[in-house]
Amino acid sequence: MSNRISHKNSRVDLNRPLTFTFDGQSYQGFAGDTLASALLANGVKVVARSFKYGRPRGIIGSGAEEPNALVQIDVGARTTPDLKATQVELYDGLVAGRTSGWPSLAFDLKSVGGKFSRFMPAGFYYKTFKWPTKLWPFYEDIIRRAAGYGKSPIEADTETYDHQHHHVDLLVVGGGATGLLAALLAGRSGLKVLLVDDQSELGGYLLSMPNILIGGVSASTWSANIINELQSLPNVSTLSRTTAFALHDMNMIQAVELLQDHLPHAARNNAQRRERLHRIRASKVVLATGAFERPLVFGNNDLPGIMTASALTTYLNRYGVACGKNAVIMTSNDLVYQGAVDLAEAGITVTIVDTREQINPEWAAKTNQLGIKVYVGYGISEAVGSGAVQGVQLVKLGSLKNVVTAKGPYVPCDVLASSGGLSPTVHLFCHDGGRPQWDDARLAFVVSANGRAKDGIFCVGAITGVFALQEGLAKTHDTIAELLTGLGKTINASGLVLETDEIAVTPARRIFNVPDGKDGYGAKAFVDFQNDVAVTDIHLAVRENYRSIEHIKRYTALGFGTDQGKLSNVNGFAIAAEALGKTIPEVGTTTYRPAYTPVSFGALAGAHVGDSFEPRRYTAVQTTHERYGAEFEPVGQWMRPWYFPKPGEDIHAAVNRECLATRNSVGMLDASTLGKIDIRGKDVREFLNRIYANAWSQLAVGKCRYGLMLDEAGMVMDDGVTACISDTHFLMTTTSGGAARVMTWLEKWHQTEWPELEVYMTSVTDHWTTAALVGPKSREVLAKLCTDIDLSKEAFKFMDWRDGKVAGVPARVFRISFSGELAYEVNVDASYGDYIWNELMKAGKEFDITPYGTETMHVLRAEKGFIIVGQDTDGSVTPFDLDMAWAVGMKKPYSFLGKRSLARSDTSRTDRKQLVGLLPEDPNVVLKEGAQLINSSDITPPVAMLGHVTSSYHSAFLGRSIAMGFVIDGIKRRDEEGNNIVYAWAEGKAVKVKIVSYVFVDAEGARHNA
Amino acid sequence: MLNSTTTNISEFSPVMQSPLHPFGLTSKQEKVNDGKGVWANEIPLLGYISLRGNSQNAAFVNAVNSALNVALPTQACSMSYTAWGSILWLSPDEWLITCKRDQRASLQGALETALADIHSQVVDNSGGYTTVLLKGKNASEVLHHCTVYDLNMLQAGKVVGTTFGKLNFYLHQHEDGYYLVFRRSFADYIWRYLERSALPYGFGIAQLNDGL
Repeated sequence: MSNRISHKNSRVDLNRPLTFTFDGQSYQGFAGDTLASALLANGVKVVARSFKYGRPRGIIGSGAEEPNALVQIDVGARTTPDLKATQVELYDGLVAGRTSGWPSLAFDLKSVGGKFSRFMPAGFYYKTFKWPTKLWPFYEDIIRRAAGYGKSPIEADTETYDHQHHHVDLLVVGGGATGLLAALLAGRSGLKVLLVDDQSELGGYLLSMPNILIGGVSASTWSANIINELQSLPNVSTLSRTTAFALHDMNMIQAVELLQDHLPHAARNNAQRRERLHRIRASKVVLATGAFERPLVFGNNDLPGIMTASALTTYLNRYGVACGKNAVIMTSNDLVYQGAVDLAEAGITVTIVDTREQINPEWAAKTNQLGIKVYVGYGISEAVGSGAVQGVQLVKLGSLKNVVTAKGPYVPCDVLASSGGLSPTVHLFCHDGGRPQWDDARLAFVVSANGRAKDGIFCVGAITGVFALQEGLAKTHDTIAELLTGLGKTINASGLVLETDEIAVTPARRIFNVPDGKDGYGAKAFVDFQNDVAVTDIHLAVRENYRSIEHIKRYTALGFGTDQGKLSNVNGFAIAAEALGKTIPEVGTTTYRPAYTPVSFGALAGAHVGDSFEPRRYTAVQTTHERYGAEFEPVGQWMRPWYFPKPGEDIHAAVNRECLATRNSVGMLDASTLGKIDIRGKDVREFLNRIYANAWSQLAVGKCRYGLMLDEAGMVMDDGVTACISDTHFLMTTTSGGAARVMTWLEKWHQTEWPELEVYMTSVTDHWTTAALVGPKSREVLAKLCTDIDLSKEAFKFMDWRDGKVAGVPARVFRISFSGELAYEVNVDASYGDYIWNELMKAGKEFDITPYGTETMHVLRAEKGFIIVGQDTDGSVTPFDLDMAWAVGMKKPYSFLGKRSLARSDTSRTDRKQLVGLLPEDPNVVLKEGAQLINSSDITPPVAMLGHVTSSYHSAFLGRSIAMGFVIDGIKRRDEEGNNIVYAWAEGKAVKVKIVSYVFVDAEGARHNA
Repeated sequence: MLNSTTTNISEFSPVMQSPLHPFGLTSKQEKVNDGKGVWANEIPLLGYISLRGNSQNAAFVNAVNSALNVALPTQACSMSYTAWGSILWLSPDEWLITCKRDQRASLQGALETALADIHSQVVDNSGGYTTVLLKGKNASEVLHHCTVYDLNMLQAGKVVGTTFGKLNFYLHQHEDGYYLVFRRSFADYIWRYLERSALPYGFGIAQLNDGL
């Protein structure tokens, strides 16, 4: 525990020691630690190896900005790759692993290559692996192996996640000083407020500067008071460990809450979620997201032991960790001084290297008093050390330009921190199109407090470029007052004293990259640590004529990765601007996109997993189907029985058996999934005339008719049988997958184009269970259960329907057929669905009634030449292409949907692709669906593609294979002996096929009329 | 008539099954207690009548009012509770009427008679819907896992059609309970999603006679 110090305001509980392991070694930490603070307390310096060069790397930051310390947490199903050690809360028994460094952290093979880094500049991969093309798969394999950090879990996730929706008047993002104040002021006014914060406790940077006085009390007391009052307000809720990672249009914010990962395994609750995705719809949003400190760029600035000045301060004050005994802090501004004073007071030797010509006299006095040496007007040209920083080489800087004017002293140290100013956390502000503005006085991309007030987005605190606490609190008050005024409310700030004891800030030096006087030949100075992007890489990109910062980003990889350039972007923009001879605002920023920090797939999926991943719609007969051993297939969202295998049967054996049983005796299909729409009104016939291609004026009561529905382009979009219940009442059926689309289609045309037609329509799909009783014995089966309908062939003809009772239940029976067999579709209230199915099975037992699924249904209908919309059509097929002119009523007095399009030159030509039957020469060969149809078995290019196979099956009834498909000019070729041979090409084979009629069974209709 | 088989109707004893029948809720139900945050059960086998008509047409509204002996709710998202069930406004020309199953035929008959000469539609949809009652101290939280709708906006007397996971449903609130009305074929998904969402709060199947 070499670096742990007892610190009065530390948030770490030294009475609760915890044991954890990192990279196979056991360490001790304390409750309140992060993995990073515990590692630093244990003196662990090297935690990673760099991406490209394998250089040793340490912890740089203290939060979401950390680029280096990516760790693998936990093992097995719970393992999570690439978490930032700075964000991982320590618990007893935590197992952390390294995600880089092979074979070990102490020695990385990539570092051998790193010695030749001169030969691995930006764009190295593009340049080196470009030729020869055929070697790319080999290169890709090597690159993929070298790239990446941690390992994804390979076991199924045993934990659960969910989503929760929120609707609030105000969402405050960020629980630091200004966020807390904003939430309190809004909460006092009665607004429904939600405050989210990514840390384990509220307070933000106040946790790192607990000694500052606000309104005469310490920062920790001040924030505790506010938090207490927030908790007492019933209209305010707060969520900790919750990162708002995306802001979408209309102020929909997504935030992910970590519910259990901070707990030891034994304390985790199996009924609780691991993570929760909050989807927050907020009338107003206050962004109090703060800022990240921007490090200065200098030679060897990636040595372990080098961090941001705010991280150094945070580890000391919040976690009680002195990251070294001898600290050097380089700065361009006043922000580091309070931390330096805190360090010195904790007994650490501190040296400040201030790049400015003059420093704040108040801080000069304080540092002098504490014996802190301050080098004024100096910079660090290069850090020195092997494996960790051991000292720094100073240079004297020019007073006006960032150039070296003289060499400075060498200063030994064991920890080095730097500050180049603050970069506001503007990400959320920019996600839905906002852009930050460069503020040349504050040297930062900032957003204005009310610049997006019209969108309901307000900004307070450091995000606005207001870095001083007192000014930030005062402006927060004013911004919330403005927000509340807009809502007709008044602000109540009673009892809140917002004065602090801060020392007034003096101007910063404009410096990003500290010069070393070596003109690019000095030690590597890194801008982006995670992607090993050095200053020289940005210069190279500019020399190679990349001009847009978006292109420079992609060429160098600046700002990519899990940290998304939180430390590196602004330095990169500034260095690129200098190289391009442009100003920073001219260069601008790259685009901030969600997610702000990585989000797990589990959180995004929520409860949309397993059996609630996608709706599975079941018919009322489901449990019986399962009892009969059905295999299921999804049709739309419906789960339909696919086939009913008997023990030992595969799908082919089952389907052959089901087909033969149905054609020879009786089978039964659950047709409940077909869409059913009840349509009523005096104009229902006219409505159907316009919706369908065929005519409905003459259909008699008690009769049914098949119809094709076309879209505006004249292409088939749905089909089905519609029954005339009365002159003002029809019942339409649609395809299973097309039901909702057809319902919308009917409403759309009725509401927008034909409101004068008196019709109403209602979906009754779910109300009816439909059992299709199919086969020559179907009449005998039905007769056993139904005595009040005359089932004789004279009285109840094909395409008739009748009302009656079946097995004692009111039923509507349709004599329609999708197989070409004698068939009855028995419809009952779905409450009786399971009952009626079982009664029909009992009644059919003596005929060996066979339940069948969609696969047999497909074979039976193909034998009869019935199309399936969506399989034999694809949105480019007219009724004429299907050889179904009989289903088009061109003589109807009023037009119908699609009619005009059928007259277009392209749709009316006679040599389009047309649906035909296909018989393979070898009856044992079943064609591949999708196989291309060509004129010859010779496939020497060019080969004209005539069409393709749409449906193909083995027909047990016919004892051979059959198929349907599209062939250019197919209808004419079908009837021309000598011109009716094509070849089906698939999987390297051409199969000789004869074009025939697609009605393979019972063309005269004797069976269905039986 | 075919006379191959003679059948006596009285042989049959038809059995109805509600959409959530496969979950066997009856055998899992228990008396509501404080140990669980969320309680639910299906109110099975109600009668459902879909009604369509023009609410601007006074003749239509008057005919419905007299047939049902209650005022048809014509304000957007409004509903009425009646002695025999409820009337849910679904859209400007569409309502869903719920009732005890054995009252469905007489209510539907009354509507059809009253509306005989008025452009309208009355359809029995009893097999197509079901209702789940959800209650308990965490009921609102659980629903907020399932629907994007802002439940603070759902006062008594209001009904909304909104999303439930990836499906849609109708929702109203009455005497501390939420009523979830949805299609038969949605039952499996909605129940599984509800169970999954309720897990962290403790989920119980409430006895139907226990205030449900």
